[in-house]
Amino acid sequence: MRAKLRLLRRKFVPYAALAPMALIVLVGYLGTVLWSLKVSLSSSRTFPAHDFVGLTQYARLFGNERWLQSLENLALYGILFIAACLVIGFLLAVFIDQKVSGEGVLRTVFLYPYAMSFVATGLVWQWLLNPGNGIQQAVRLWGYADFQFDWIVDQDKAMYTIVIATVWQASGLVMAILLAGLRGIDEEIWKAARIDGIPTWRVYLSIVLPMLGPSVGTAFVLLFTAVVKLFDAVVAMTQGGPGIASEVPAKFIMDHLFGRANIALASAGSIMLLLTVIVLVAPLMYARSRVGSRKGSK
Amino acid sequence: MNQAGNALRSRRKRRLDPARIGIYAFLVSAALFFLLPLYIMLVTSLKPMDEIRQGNIFALPLSVTVEPWQTAWSSACTGVDCQGIRGGFWNSLAIVVPSTVLSILLGAVNGYALSFWRARGAGLLFGILMMGAFIPVQVMIYPLVQILAALHLFSSLPGIVLIHVIFGMPVMTLLFRNYYASIPEELFKAARIDGGGFFRIFVQLMLPMSTPIVIVAAIMQVTGIWNDYILGLVFAGRDNLPMTVQLNNVINTTTGVRLYNVNMAATILTSLVPLSIYLISGRWFVRGIAAGAVKG
Amino acid sequence: MFKARRIIMAALASGYCLAAQAAGPRAEVVHWWTSGGESAAVRKLSEAYTAAGGVWVDTAIAGSEQARSVAINRIVGGNPPTAAQFNTTKQFLDIIEQGLLNNVDAVALKEGWDKFLPETILNVIRIKGHYYAAPVNIHMPTWIWYSRAAFKKAGIANEPKSMDELFAALDKLRAAGLIPLAHGGQSWQENIVFTAVLANQGGKDLYLKILRDRDPAAINSEAFKKVLLSFKRLQSYVDPGAPGRNWNDATALLITGKAGVQIMGDWAKGEFSQARQVPGKDFGCIAGFGANSPYIIQGDAFVFPKTNNAEAIKAQLLLASVITQPAIQVEFSNRKGSIPIRTDVDSGKMDLCAQEGLKIMKDKSRQIGNGETFLNPDQNGSLADILTAYWNRNVAVEKVQKDIAAALRN
Repeated sequence: MRAKLRLLRRKFVPYAALAPMALIVLVGYLGTVLWSLKVSLSSSRTFPAHDFVGLTQYARLFGNERWLQSLENLALYGILFIAACLVIGFLLAVFIDQKVSGEGVLRTVFLYPYAMSFVATGLVWQWLLNPGNGIQQAVRLWGYADFQFDWIVDQDKAMYTIVIATVWQASGLVMAILLAGLRGIDEEIWKAARIDGIPTWRVYLSIVLPMLGPSVGTAFVLLFTAVVKLFDAVVAMTQGGPGIASEVPAKFIMDHLFGRANIALASAGSIMLLLTVIVLVAPLMYARSRVGSRKGSK
Repeated sequence: MNQAGNALRSRRKRRLDPARIGIYAFLVSAALFFLLPLYIMLVTSLKPMDEIRQGNIFALPLSVTVEPWQTAWSSACTGVDCQGIRGGFWNSLAIVVPSTVLSILLGAVNGYALSFWRARGAGLLFGILMMGAFIPVQVMIYPLVQILAALHLFSSLPGIVLIHVIFGMPVMTLLFRNYYASIPEELFKAARIDGGGFFRIFVQLMLPMSTPIVIVAAIMQVTGIWNDYILGLVFAGRDNLPMTVQLNNVINTTTGVRLYNVNMAATILTSLVPLSIYLISGRWFVRGIAAGAVKG
Repeated sequence: MFKARRIIMAALASGYCLAAQAAGPRAEVVHWWTSGGESAAVRKLSEAYTAAGGVWVDTAIAGSEQARSVAINRIVGGNPPTAAQFNTTKQFLDIIEQGLLNNVDAVALKEGWDKFLPETILNVIRIKGHYYAAPVNIHMPTWIWYSRAAFKKAGIANEPKSMDELFAALDKLRAAGLIPLAHGGQSWQENIVFTAVLANQGGKDLYLKILRDRDPAAINSEAFKKVLLSFKRLQSYVDPGAPGRNWNDATALLITGKAGVQIMGDWAKGEFSQARQVPGKDFGCIAGFGANSPYIIQGDAFVFPKTNNAEAIKAQLLLASVITQPAIQVEFSNRKGSIPIRTDVDSGKMDLCAQEGLKIMKDKSRQIGNGETFLNPDQNGSLADILTAYWNRNVAVEKVQKDIAAALRN
């Protein structure tokens, strides 16, 4: 009898441990999403209204040029940003892992952008990329009179400048995550590879990289959330301009939430954004759960 | 014989062969790219406004002045008071410490439970949690205000800590879940056979092995919570406003004069706390903690 | 010895308590005045309030949207401030409709606000006969600033007195190798330039028909088309680095003599005085072209979140009364760069540009509200979107007219 109780209590403990998460997910997250959904189907302005207008807000959303441009910008930005951060972060982690002298200093150099408020650093990037007194001007003064680097004021290239600045800010964290993963890899692997005479770069590509799977997965998800929530950088650097060339969904939503006092449209925007993310990520997560996120079950 | 050969080979690797030069070249060029904005910030923070107005951002200061730093810390205007950004320092600490500890703890427990224990419905909950990480913070503020008000926690220190735990949960859980996913299940099974229960195994086996990921988690949470502005502003209550509120009051303005040198100094000062965490954490980025456990 | 100390401490403590109780009504004020000049200005308000017996508790939050959203969140969360800053626009209409604001009728009626407040401000604070906000100042967003040094270099002898003369001056500046129009490419700044052109070229009638009446005929008219074309023409006088630039950096171009003209609100005076430049000597300010050019009014006001606490209500009424007194108005506006909400003040201590503004204000026919006093935030935002797209891209002016008509329709 006592053994049965103990067994039951054992089975119960994990559920109890997960109770805070369950509570927060259901009330905090799911509840908020449902609330947003309800508001997006109403005509709320500053405060939630309790009427029902069907899909009017969504129709308005998709007739809105700023919103459509922001989606396009986000897609372009997302691909470039995630790819660049992963590649640069990986290279930085690998190179730092080579027992270089001054590792501590280097690590801090790559990580410090992450520590700084983007309101100020974004302004610095705006100055740097400004054709009048930034990098373009500096290179011209060095003698290259035809050098052009005015992407930030170019309708088609403004988003690339946001990529540059945010990659600067986030690569350090990706490096830290991958470094932690690298440091968890058994020394034996390298020794074995060395004995077998495999070139180092091969070891990294074919052996280490697959072993870093979970770390890369973590970094990828973090980067993806940063992409979807991209806001501070755009506000600090270009304010969504020139015109609406660097508009992003999070900024569209924020502007309508507060400045335009139109929380219904803003909620519609955030529901659409969430749906897009679910559509993109769900197949990935399903595939991962099929393959099994745990290794070692030989 | 083999070991001696290995030792020779590894010692030779330390000298400057082309590969080594390549590594340093890459790292130094990357460092220059990363340091460029910091250079601009430092140089701007040491110039008087007249020089800044000239617009030469790369130029070294003609007349170096540390007044912006003093102003930023103790006399910049942030409203009626002109006390600089130092006011919220202790508030920020009071918010960061419990929030970081609690959110890492919960994230670790969640990650551990999700990774090793097959609780029914946990996977689905985790999926919803991860979706929650994609929602812009501001969208969630209004309903959370009402929830916290109902719990009588609105505008209080426990309230803001709870908010940070809520917002930190997706990322923290993800970090630990993925980290524990790479720990072989044999270890866990062995511990179960030895008679360990849920929390016993967690405290005695998993936590000691988690040092690298706890460091990463601490870096992320301390940075995120220390630099958080909007959540502290809305939920902490007037007496617990974090330093970032003063920082924002110094830097941000709609129709006011902008003192860029003070702004840069204030930003660097505020970032010193997360930066020092990065520096201290270096000790724990060491090799082979998990590896050692596997071999044993 | 210890006993004596304890007695003294007790006496002090009780004296303290008495003093605290005797301290007047406590007002927690949320506002966004955080930079140097703004801080000096709001300190005048807090000093006046303290002198009148109150206790000012300052909750400054930089960024107007942040401050307003925090005020609203706190009202909803049940922890409202005593007073919160908003603009004298339709921003707080929704809050009034929800019944979440107290009115200050007692002060408004007793001190005769109807008599000295401009019509445009009364229209936004007096809703259904009740007064829901205490106006603090008036800002004019479309002053035309010019650098005297730049004008001298370009050989411009006189201030431009019409749109044509302005374009001529801009041409001369460009010929002299200077930046003709200093501009920051942010949507609200483009809105300001548009408003200036509409007021100066379109005139008061067209302005009201477009922004107040939202008349489709007026929007599609030839006159409005000309206004839009002039607006777009100004864009050609802007330097390539303009997009995204802060307005302060554009003013810096005037201060350093690199640019000639900027169209910006009267808060720009703050940057000039920071650089120790003087109106009339280093820079000039033009309120508008012609003797009857409209004087565009926007401004700040305090609203009073709903509360039934008697002490808080006392604080709200005291605050509303204190900040609208003539002497305080001048002290505040001098440091803020704005002009007082009432013209029955001593303008001797105000700077040249502010004195000119006050003089114009005395002519009620020239007072006209900013776009935001007529349009709700959503409409204003949509209009700004269209204008900024037109400024930055090649869009046919007829399409712009159609888009504006559609945006202002609802």
